[in-house]
This record gives sequence, structure tokens and C-alpha cells, in this order.
Amino acid sequence: MIELAGVTKRYGPKVAVEGLTLSVPDGELFALLGPNGAGKTTTIKMLCGLLFPTEGTVRVGGFDVTTHGDQARALVSYVPDQPFLYEKLTGREFLQFTADLYGMSPAKSRDKIAEVIDLFHLRDFADDLTERYSHGMRQRTVFAAARVHEPRLLIAAAPTVGLDPKSVRELKTLLRKLAAGGMTVLMSTHTLDIAEELADRIGIIDHGRLIGCGTLDALRTQSSSDGSLEDVFLKITDEATAGTAV
Amino acid sequence: MGIAPPSAAHQPAVFRRLRARTARNGLRVMLASGRVRLLTMAFTSAAVAAFTFGSSWYGFHQLAVNGIPFKGAIVEGLFDLLFFTLGGMLVFSTGIILYASLFTAPEARFLLATPARADHVFATKFQAAVAFSSWAFVVLGLPIFVAYGVTAGVPWFYYPLLPAFLLGYVLLPGSVSAALCLLLVRYMPRNRRQFLLGVGVVAALAAGVWLYRVGVAANASITGGGRDAVDVLIGQFDLARGGLSPNHWMTRGIMAAARDDLAGAALPLALVWSNGLLLYVAAAWVARRVYRTAFDRLAGGGRAKKVYGSSPLDRVMEALVFYLDKPTRVLVVKDFRTFRRDPTQWALLVLFAVLILLGGTNFRQFYRENLALVDKFIVSLINLFGVSILLCAGLSRFVFPLISLEGRKFWVLGLLPIRRGQILGGKFAFAATGSVVVAEGLVLFSDMLLGLPPLAVGLHALAVGVVALGLSGLNVGLGAYLPNFRETDPSKIVVGFGGTVNMVAGLAFLVGVIGLVCLPYHVSVIARLSAFESGGGASPVLFAGVPVALFAGVLAVWLPLRAGRRSLETMEF
Repeated sequence: MIELAGVTKRYGPKVAVEGLTLSVPDGELFALLGPNGAGKTTTIKMLCGLLFPTEGTVRVGGFDVTTHGDQARALVSYVPDQPFLYEKLTGREFLQFTADLYGMSPAKSRDKIAEVIDLFHLRDFADDLTERYSHGMRQRTVFAAARVHEPRLLIAAAPTVGLDPKSVRELKTLLRKLAAGGMTVLMSTHTLDIAEELADRIGIIDHGRLIGCGTLDALRTQSSSDGSLEDVFLKITDEATAGTAV
Repeated sequence: MGIAPPSAAHQPAVFRRLRARTARNGLRVMLASGRVRLLTMAFTSAAVAAFTFGSSWYGFHQLAVNGIPFKGAIVEGLFDLLFFTLGGMLVFSTGIILYASLFTAPEARFLLATPARADHVFATKFQAAVAFSSWAFVVLGLPIFVAYGVTAGVPWFYYPLLPAFLLGYVLLPGSVSAALCLLLVRYMPRNRRQFLLGVGVVAALAAGVWLYRVGVAANASITGGGRDAVDVLIGQFDLARGGLSPNHWMTRGIMAAARDDLAGAALPLALVWSNGLLLYVAAAWVARRVYRTAFDRLAGGGRAKKVYGSSPLDRVMEALVFYLDKPTRVLVVKDFRTFRRDPTQWALLVLFAVLILLGGTNFRQFYRENLALVDKFIVSLINLFGVSILLCAGLSRFVFPLISLEGRKFWVLGLLPIRRGQILGGKFAFAATGSVVVAEGLVLFSDMLLGLPPLAVGLHALAVGVVALGLSGLNVGLGAYLPNFRETDPSKIVVGFGGTVNMVAGLAFLVGVIGLVCLPYHVSVIARLSAFESGGGASPVLFAGVPVALFAGVLAVWLPLRAGRRSLETMEF
């Protein structure tokens, strides 16, 4: 589903992502970890077609996001860490707008909207204007909108921030269920135990370079550590920093 | 790859529904929870329109009094100039709003991550930007031309044609501005600062040379008079009066309608709309080609790491508010630092500075021409109004949005170990210090150039001081009383409900203060000088308005600040 080949992204003189090569197959739940400013968000924005690589190619579902962006974006849903909603729309109207934007038929969109409203427990506030929503309500609405058009790739940045424990639990179950159903899920997070619990594979990115990628066991082997993901993450990033310094 | 992109034919309808729903819901919320607000907006708009109508009617009536033909070359020249100026301003205002909507707004990021086509996203943002930047043009333009119609005596079809002309015209500068904005972001050289500086210097030089020539011609026509001098002056605006100039199409069409020539009005109207729509399509085509890459380029156009530190200007600002306690001084310097690091604020400040400098150049011209004393009094009064209006516009743009811009960061101020009234006091000190220094400096400088008597200079200094303090109080107080925490773009805060109320209140206040403090004295002196009378002291009655103006000044500071402080103290975050 995701193919990044030799991707470099420069912001003027600053290199945000350097020579990133990564492949994520259909139905995998992939967690992207890294310190602040490591290049996670830039990578995600390139996958969504918001930014274009300076070098290399980014493919989603076989479509190059630079040359066939419309086709690639039709397969993707993106849930940013700061979710956007139209303040003067109700949650239900926002879901309808999303369904319309992706060209869903009225009958199908009606069914899917009803389904996601139940799935994300939006019924109590779905007909209120979103300007009155709390952060958790906004996050759940944005997830529902991301789900409404049945994307093949769901990209979520820090998806659990602002959610209550019950919603986090439900989100984790949902993400696993989506991946089991064939949807590819790529999430970036700083909550390492969620990545440890959910991810099929984990990528660690630092200073724009992928310094570790694989299952938790593979990362443990790479870092020569039997500890938690937190231990493994810190060891790998520390070693990379030391290597850069040398 | 040979695969057709997914159909986007349905997208324009999706965006139309989006706009209709957000407008309908917004109106419902306003009707349910803010009828007073809606009524105030309607009232202030009506008041502004009525004022514009009244002053325009008076102006056109003066044409009749002076025997100037209503449908002749002079009025045509005035209309050309009006449309040319407004068109230029619309290019800038639409461009600034569109830049924020297309490149920095969260909605743009959201839509660009969907399959929405770039030109469809552009179209929806363009329509919003043009509506936002042009409503004042239409609301103010209509009363001017209705006043013209009433005084000139025009056929019935002149009136329904007016909105058609004005609405069509806004497409032209809006589309040009949109295409320029997209192309600039996409193709601007990497060393943005040098490029903008270069373009700015060239544009300022060109504008300076042209305005200098206009100033010289205007002086010649005022001091020398005569048809040749007026011809030279009008000749400076040939660019705005050419057959290919859209503002001339507007003038030709409106004048033809006024002359009962429907066919003559139809062709310019068709020219305005067809060219406007063609330019709009061209701008949308540019958007389809470059919007996404421009967005990427802007996001990726980083620059070498810059170390920000304190500046001597910060220390000057802190020294200017030495009378405040330390925490409030810190807040003042914070506001000043935020202001000087925001390039969009600086760009507008430069614009204001250029206007003020041009004013200064003209004073020097008048001084050299050795005007009669009566003319000096008239010019000084115009100058006083000009500085006050600039002050009103500047404070509305920079100071009124200060509290609103705290937005979701308000908790930072809310949790500070100082009273919230002090926060407001700091912002008032920031605004009042800057505006008193600038306004007094400009007025005293120009009055000295004109060589006015000390009494007139003293009255001007008093009036502009009261105006500066009162406007600072109004802007800070109303900014806290009517904040808009949802908006992050200051230009939109200014043209929102609170900003409009503030602007109208500010204009009424400055007209009132100058009218009370200076007008009776000026009218008396001008009348005396025109009648070739000399000598005689000024009657105390002429200064009866001074205490009233001082009281109005105290109220303009005290009432809004009190309302703002109460609102701020009960504000939750």
C-alpha cells in the first residue's frame, strides 16, 4: 500500500527527511516513532499529498502522489493531531460533506454515516454545531469522517491525544479491527505502549532518517535489548545520536 | 500510468452545499443568540451608508452650485479615479485574505489532503475572499452612486444597473490578485526577503515619482488655477482613463446609464462581466496548475536558522512606558515584540508610513508655494482629519485584534499572577504611547511647516491628543469586550462585528472631537480672513466645545476599558 523509495525532503537548507525507503503492505498497522522534529509529520504529509518529495518517490496504492495525486488521495484518510472541523456545521453535516467529497452515492453515504455515528458514539451530539465540541468529541468526529468513505489507508497523527480512557480502548480495538479487515493503518505517536500493543511493525525515525524498522522483536535484536519498547526506542535513538556526533 | 483520475464533476455542488449550510447555520446561531449583535451590525452598516450618501449628496450638490455639469468630463474623471483607487486597494486586500485562506488556514490543509481538486478548493476560497474584501466596496459604492443619481436626475434603469456594475467589477481586481498571489508563492525566488525588498523598492520608487508628479500638478492647479494646470493634473491619471482600463468601462457604463443611454451602458457592463469572468477562469486555471506545488513550496521554503534576540527597539518601548509597573511593562514589550516580528503587520505599517510621508511631502510643497493664510487653515484642518483617520485605521488594524489574537493561548494571560485589568492597562499603554507620539509628531510637524499661529497649533495638538487617547481606549476596551477568539487572521477580526462597531465608533468619536475643539475656531478664522477682516481676538465662545471634547475623551477611555475589564475578568478559558 505504501512505497517510499529514497525519499528526501528539504526545507530550504534544512533536511527534514533523508533517503527514506519504506514499504508497508496492505492490512498492516504500522507505527512511526521518533523524537520531536524527527521528520514523522513531514513523512505523513508527503503520504497525504500535502507535500512533495524533493527527491525519490512516494507511492500510495501504486499511485505516485506527485504525478497521480488525485488517485492516491482518494485512497487515503488523514487524521491530523489538530483535527479540523467546520465550526458552523453539525457533526452529521460534516460527515455528509466528507461522503459527498469522496463521491459516495446518497444511499450508501446515509448507511455509512449511521454506521460511524454508532461506532464512535456520536449520537448524543451529532446534530450540534461542532463549535461546541470538546477535543475528545472533535477527535471522535474526525475519526468517524476518516472512516466514512472506507479508505484503504488510514493515517493518524497522535490519534489518542485528548481521548478519555474508554475512547482510547475503543480506538485501539477499532484500529486492530480495521487492519484485520485489510485496511492499512499508519500512525505516528509518542505513546510507546500503544505502539507496542497495537503495531505489527514499528519504524523509528530520527534526524530525518529511518534508524530502525521491524517488529518489536526485530528492534530488540537490533538494539541488543530485551526491555520494553521504551528501552529499545531510547537505546536506538541514543546510539543514532552518538553515531551522528562521531 | 494511464489511469483516469476519479471524477470531480460533483465537487462544485458539494462546495456550494457546504457554503449554503455554513451560512444558514451561522445565521441561525446569530438569530438565536445574538439578535442585538445582528441589529447593531445592520444599524452600523445603515449609519455608514447614510453618512456616505449624505456626504456624497453634499459633494454632488456642490457641483451643481458651482455650475459643473453632472454628466461631463470632470465627473467622469472623478469616477475614473475612484474606481482606479478602489480597484488597486481591492487587489491588495483580496490578495492578503486569499494568501491566508489558501496557504495558512487549517481548512486548506484539510481540503488538500482530500481528493478535492485544487481549482475547486481555490474557487471556494476565492469567492469567500472576494466577498470579504469587497463588501465594503459595494456597501459604500452604492450610496455614492445613488446620491449621484438623485442629484443628477437619471432614468429608472440606472439604479438596478448599479449593483450589476459593482458586483461585476470586484471580479477583476480579485482575479488578478488571486493569480498574482498563486504565481508569487509558486515562483518567488528562494531568497524571498531580498526579492520582496527589491520589488518593494521599485514599486515604492515608481509610486513616489508618480505621486510627486500628481502633487506638483495638484499644487499648480490649486495655486495657479487655469484650464492648462487642471489638464496637466488630469493627465497624470491617463493610465486609469484609457479605453482598455476596466475602471473606465465602469465610468463609461454608469455615465451612459445616467444619460439615459441603455445601449451605451450595456456594452461596458458586458465588458466588465466578460473580462471579470475570463480572468476568474484564468486564475482558476493557474490554481489548478500551481496551487498544490505552491503550497508545498511555501511549506518547504525554509531558511537558515535565525537567532531571535531582544532589540534596542524593545528597550525604547519599555522606556516609553516607564510609568507602569514591571509586570505590565513586560506585557507591553511582549505585544510590541509580537508586532514587530509579524511581517504582515509590518507591511501594513510601511503602507501607512508611506501615506504619512506623502502627506508630509505635500505639506512641504504647500509651504514652498507660500499659500494664503486661509488656505493654510483649510489644509491644516484636512491634515488633522487625515492623521486622525490614519490613526483610527491603524489602531483598528493593530490594536483592536490584540485580545482576540490571544485566542486559545488566553490561558497564558489568564494564569499570570497579575490582575486582568493590568493586562488591559498594558495594552492601553502600548496603544496610547505609540499613537500619541506618532500623531502629535505629525500634526505639530506639519503645522510648523505651514506656519500656523500658536493658538491653532495648540488646539490641533489638544485635539489629536484627545483623539489618540480616546481611540486607544476604544480599541483596547472594545477589543476585550467584543473579542473573536475563533479567528486567527487579524484582517478578518477587523472586518467582523466587533471590528465594524469599533471602527464606526472611532470615526464618530474623531469627527466629534475635531468638530468640537477645532472647527468653530477654524470656521471663524476662515470667515474673517475671507472677508478681509483683520485683528480681533478669538471669542471664548469658540472654545466652548473644548471641555465637552475632553469629557468625551475621558468617556471614550473609561467606558470601553471598564466594559473590557469586566468582560476579561469574567472570561473563562
